[in-house]
Amino acid sequence: MSIKSFLPFALCLSVLLFSGSGFSFEQEMLQRAYDTISPALCVLTFTQETTDPRSGEQIRQNGFAVALNVSAEGLLLTNGHLQRDNVQSFNFRVTFRIDGKEQSYPAVLLKKPDDLNVSLLRLQSETPLTLPYVRFSTDAGLSLGEPVAILGIMGETLDFNRAIQEDRIISVLDAPRSTYCLGGQLKMGFVTGPVINRRGQVVGITGFDLAVAEGGEFFSRSGVPLVYQASLFEKHIASPPDQTQESVEAEEAWLGVFTQPLKEEFARYWNIPEAGGLIVSTVIPDSPAAAVGIVPGDIIRAFDGHPIRAIHDRDVLAFTQMVKEKAPGSEVEITLLRNGEELALTATLGHRPRAAQDADEYEDEHLGMVVREITRDLRILLNLGEEVQGVIVRRVVSGSAAQAARIQPGLIIMSMNSATIRDLDDYKEAAQFFKQDKPDEITLFVRAGAQTGFLRLRPRW
Amino acid sequence: MMPHTHVPLSVRLRHGFSYLLLLSAVVLAGGCASLSGNTQDRVLAARNRVAPALVHIRPVKEVFVSGKRTEVLTVGSGFIISADGYIVTNEHVAGESSEVWCILSDNTEHEARVVGVDPYTDVAVLKIEADRPFPYVRWGDSDAIEAGQMVLAMGSPHGLARSVSLGIISVRDRYLENASGMSSPYNNWIQTDAAINPGNSGGPLVNLKGDVVGINARMLSGAENLGFAIPANIARQVVTQIIDHGSVRRSALGLVFQEMTSKTDDPSARGVVIADVAPLSASYEAGVRPGDILIRLGNRPMHARHEEELPAVRKAVADLPVGEPVTLVLERGGEEMSFSVVTEEESAYKGRNAEFSEWGFTLVELTPDLARRAQLPGHTGVLVSGCLPGGLAASSGLTPGDIILKLDDTPVASLSDFMNLYKSVQENRKALTMLFVQKGALTRFVLIDQTNSKSSILDKEVLDHVD
Repeated sequence: MSIKSFLPFALCLSVLLFSGSGFSFEQEMLQRAYDTISPALCVLTFTQETTDPRSGEQIRQNGFAVALNVSAEGLLLTNGHLQRDNVQSFNFRVTFRIDGKEQSYPAVLLKKPDDLNVSLLRLQSETPLTLPYVRFSTDAGLSLGEPVAILGIMGETLDFNRAIQEDRIISVLDAPRSTYCLGGQLKMGFVTGPVINRRGQVVGITGFDLAVAEGGEFFSRSGVPLVYQASLFEKHIASPPDQTQESVEAEEAWLGVFTQPLKEEFARYWNIPEAGGLIVSTVIPDSPAAAVGIVPGDIIRAFDGHPIRAIHDRDVLAFTQMVKEKAPGSEVEITLLRNGEELALTATLGHRPRAAQDADEYEDEHLGMVVREITRDLRILLNLGEEVQGVIVRRVVSGSAAQAARIQPGLIIMSMNSATIRDLDDYKEAAQFFKQDKPDEITLFVRAGAQTGFLRLRPRW
Repeated sequence: MMPHTHVPLSVRLRHGFSYLLLLSAVVLAGGCASLSGNTQDRVLAARNRVAPALVHIRPVKEVFVSGKRTEVLTVGSGFIISADGYIVTNEHVAGESSEVWCILSDNTEHEARVVGVDPYTDVAVLKIEADRPFPYVRWGDSDAIEAGQMVLAMGSPHGLARSVSLGIISVRDRYLENASGMSSPYNNWIQTDAAINPGNSGGPLVNLKGDVVGINARMLSGAENLGFAIPANIARQVVTQIIDHGSVRRSALGLVFQEMTSKTDDPSARGVVIADVAPLSASYEAGVRPGDILIRLGNRPMHARHEEELPAVRKAVADLPVGEPVTLVLERGGEEMSFSVVTEEESAYKGRNAEFSEWGFTLVELTPDLARRAQLPGHTGVLVSGCLPGGLAASSGLTPGDIILKLDDTPVASLSDFMNLYKSVQENRKALTMLFVQKGALTRFVLIDQTNSKSSILDKEVLDHVD
């Protein structure tokens, strides 16, 4: 055997040795990250009530999740799946483990940010607190193939012990926002876990976006574990949202159009020399857009002085964001192309209508159902004409008078006995009256799909 | 309430014999010892009376699946009703078929002409020709049947011709709610426990006199011995109209009825509740509103305390002459009011289908019911029923459920409108065509770029240059 045949082997080895520091973590570094960050990792326990959207059946169970403390006074980030359309979570308790000792505090859920599938909680304590927390590096990005370490908590059987795992960035998405995809599987206790780069900086947390099936309106890429980089939630840490309970009126602006991008072949079809813009596909009745006379087929080329050159489907989201960030009531100039001619309009933006998940509900204990207002988005989703007024049944209590009368979720109640029900206030007023009057039965005029009919209901007073 | 699944009984032939293995495992216990000799004779006589007129039907049905028109071979049952060769079966057996083959009891095979179909009652009439008289059945009086009475179901379950099963009438007037458009609005159903399986569709339900009292047409899936037949008296009227006019013409008032118990328990309350009034209908224009109680239609008193009585009310409306005024006497807030309403013709039960192979999609005509669900004023537009995966329509973003409102700038009012526009697009080899479509409450533009579909155009060009 000659010495030559050893040479390539030796070369390989030396490369491997060098890359040891370049492509993975050193044990010492992981230990350091673990020691400094794991005290800010908490076990969050809660009770969750999930409503089956079809049957209205409710299941209650206890759960736990990882919460990450981001402020000395106790502000925590956790998985946004706690706040979904058909899920109610409560009884929050956060447990820290500091120097082997456990400290537990009650917490309240804050209003969910509308741009990120992350929930925020505030600790409740009568005395001022000084708790261990994580500081993020907001200027550090991640690159393709870069290794990361993630801290998490193992299950109850392993005594909620803190743990660390390595992973790698397998994809970097730049639109509609910077998102990093992780290559490995994210174990249960690693969702919302802090993500550390090789320099030991905490660059973000892990999470999953909501899928449409989960009632998600977020950029839907559910299924792939993501890294939410710190710059995405920095503002929510600096000025945390209010409590969920005090539902605040949305202050976002609204134009009332659905659009699609003016792609190259669309521009060719309409003989528009330059592609890019937003084709108005739908105008919502009674919206600011309808008021100013915008019609389907108009092409938005500028909004409030900003040229609109949308080409990709995802560009529509950027426009939505642009409209949202205006002040409701403000006047904006919109430049349109209509039949090839340029046209300038001044529209007065309205308040963005409330989404179904923020809709007011009323629980009628006597009839055994929960009804809610018909919000604009439900009206669009269910394709209800403006002439359909009433309240929509959200849940029917099993075994209740409402269930006996064959009332099902989705049914629209338009009158009760002689009282016309146009909205939730009408319903509450009627319910109040029935509570005193205690009629043996109530006749409902309802709508199911496209058809109307009558139902008789025997309340149990 | 448990949802009904009314399964039509026709069956694809290629699945017809797969269950034979199962059959061999079934042990017939006890024989028919419970039948007295007299009953046995009557069963035999009834079977023998009908058997010569029993027909095994093999239609080649046109189906539109995944944006493509295809043909499938199915199997059903039927029976001859006259010496000159009229055959009765179900609409869901013989409707929308390109060929219908009938195999008679003597094993002769005849290609039948479809005389007419009535999807509302699921009745179809076929005609076969021969130079000799055919054996035929005798109709019975379905109003005279009783629950508990013995009946035979005859036909081709799972494609097995000449099958007979025995049972009783379980309920003589079962009301089936119109779930998934599978139920006739104008009649109740005869429910029987005589074994009925896919393939029995269109076959006769026979009493022990050997008279046909019903046409077997439905079964409840996942249940046992819950079969349903169209009453003979309803079927006979429909058959007569199809033979005389080729179709059944009915009147409509745009009203949906509900039984009186939906509003009151008072047994003395007469009439039928008006649950819904179609927008733009003559009744709506005349001022009829949901909640009104219809007490007389012309001179005929109307009454439906329970839902089983609703089909008779609907039939009374349908039987009115089309396009003539009728007086509705309604009760509203304790007062009687009269309205004169001109009847409209009841619209088609289902729309016509068409395939557009160059774009790879299929369309179906909008029925008023579909149009109403889509919140369309009037009945304009055509519904995309399927898009072929990989086809031009699918890759351009057209999806099943879209309603096409415009092609380029021309409104599409009907399927024939669209067919004409499409034809000219193809003839002119137009590169870009814009569709304006609606889905739910949202509208959008879909651009079809035919320059992308190189293969079909290339083929044409190659052919053009062949001398």
